[in-house]
Amino acid sequence: MLQVNKVEAGYGKLKILRGVTMTVPQGEIVTLLGGNGTGKSTMLKAVSGLIPVMSGNIIFDGVDISTMKPHERMRLGLVQVTQSKEAYPAMTVEENLMLGAYTRSDRASIAADLEKVYGFFPVLKERRKQLSATLSGGEVQMLVIGRGLMAGPKMLMLDEPSAAIAPKVVLEIFSNINKIAKSGVTILVVEQNVRMALILANYGYIIRDGVIMMEGKADSLISDPAVKESFLGGSVADTSKKLQSG
Amino acid sequence: MGFDFNSLLAFIIFGITIGVVYGIVALGISLIYSGLDIVHFAHGEMYMFGAFFGLVLVHDAGFPYPIALVGAMVLTALLGMFVERVFYRRLTRAGGGYTVAGMGMIICGFGMSVALVNVAYFIWGAEAEPFRANLDYIPRLEFGDGIQVPESYVLTAIISVVLMLALNYFLRYTKIGLAVRAVAHNKEIAYLMGINVPLMISLIFGLACARAAAAGVLIGPMQSVQVEMGYLMLMKAFAAAVVGGFGSLPGAIVGGIMVGIFENLGAAYISPSHKDIYAFLLLILVLSIRPSGLFGIEAKVKA
Repeated sequence: MLQVNKVEAGYGKLKILRGVTMTVPQGEIVTLLGGNGTGKSTMLKAVSGLIPVMSGNIIFDGVDISTMKPHERMRLGLVQVTQSKEAYPAMTVEENLMLGAYTRSDRASIAADLEKVYGFFPVLKERRKQLSATLSGGEVQMLVIGRGLMAGPKMLMLDEPSAAIAPKVVLEIFSNINKIAKSGVTILVVEQNVRMALILANYGYIIRDGVIMMEGKADSLISDPAVKESFLGGSVADTSKKLQSG
Repeated sequence: MGFDFNSLLAFIIFGITIGVVYGIVALGISLIYSGLDIVHFAHGEMYMFGAFFGLVLVHDAGFPYPIALVGAMVLTALLGMFVERVFYRRLTRAGGGYTVAGMGMIICGFGMSVALVNVAYFIWGAEAEPFRANLDYIPRLEFGDGIQVPESYVLTAIISVVLMLALNYFLRYTKIGLAVRAVAHNKEIAYLMGINVPLMISLIFGLACARAAAAGVLIGPMQSVQVEMGYLMLMKAFAAAVVGGFGSLPGAIVGGIMVGIFENLGAAYISPSHKDIYAFLLLILVLSIRPSGLFGIEAKVKA
């Protein structure tokens, strides 16, 4: 679905990504892991088109999108969900969601998707007339994911959905991401919460200083001693159980 | 001499009519500021060009006044979009997106103001021209004990209110309006929503300049039209926008009306020769009590 080939990108003359190659197969959940300032967000911005690609190319659904504008990429079905703080606070929950469907004109299918989003996140339906400034952190995260879904994406890119959210809510959000993937949407999730992300995903990449340090199947990364030492402490078994049952 | 309530009422009514005009110019300034983070110093010139376009359309082309009003709005919107696209966007783009690249934008706005004034001198010359518009079909209003409100004032009040309501409807209840609000709040996310951000920026500029033009055509028949008229309007509209809380759209309207009333009362009861000072006295007064303006909120809630 998405193929990133030897991409270099950054801000102005500053190069952050130094030749990143990764693949997101259709229907899977892939995670990109790394600490602050390793190039995770830069990677997402390069894929969604907010910053230009200096060299290399990005193929989405068979189309080279490397030089396309963000709104053009989005119309192809490549949708980035921004970090949770980035809902529109002065708009209501429903206005925020409808904004996600901005590029679509088929009212019936938009209405159907709105119900689907409310199905995933019932709390949004309760609060649909409220300004999104009044939502809690977790609710805003649900809102921005829902807004991404309203675009009718083939692939959803999530930027740290667990950031600054209570652990219990993280579990709820991640189990919904799992459901969204099962409904046929390919997912790339960028995370610092390595444990949660690897439990959720099929495949993982670990980025450091703008290059991919390590990659592999999620379950093999979880048990990898190097990963364990630098990112994980303690057991992952019960979290995994909770996620699957949630 | 006893206090005359009738004339007080008259001053207030005239203050409100002129105030709504300040309000719609301030609305444009606030719209550009909240949408593009540009403090647009050449906005007075959009008002002046609008007035001249209206004048030309009525006097030279012979169009009826309402059509000239719409025509002037469209022409000025195009002028504003041209200026933004060709000049301002180069500066805003320097920031990597559509944010202001420091002082440059402010200087560019001043420069544009001077340039536009001189273009206008070149085309229309330095003399003030009277704007003769046939407004006989509009009724005069009468209040209380024979206060008469002339046609042009009635028309001004009506059109201004219509323009405000139309903008409010557009921003609140249409899909493009929603997109404009999204762009105003955060251009990056707006992009990710699939919104054509550069197009929306042009649209915001066009809408704001069209409003200034409407003000020019409305004020035209009350005063005369001349090249230097933009400067004073800009100052009044800025005062209105700041009194209301910079970037707040309802604030711009309320600020405009307050400036209009305050100015008229000052002229009537203190001294008419210092009419243009009162707007700024009000500004100082309001800011010393509420530094962010009447509708200004600490965390800027836009559009």
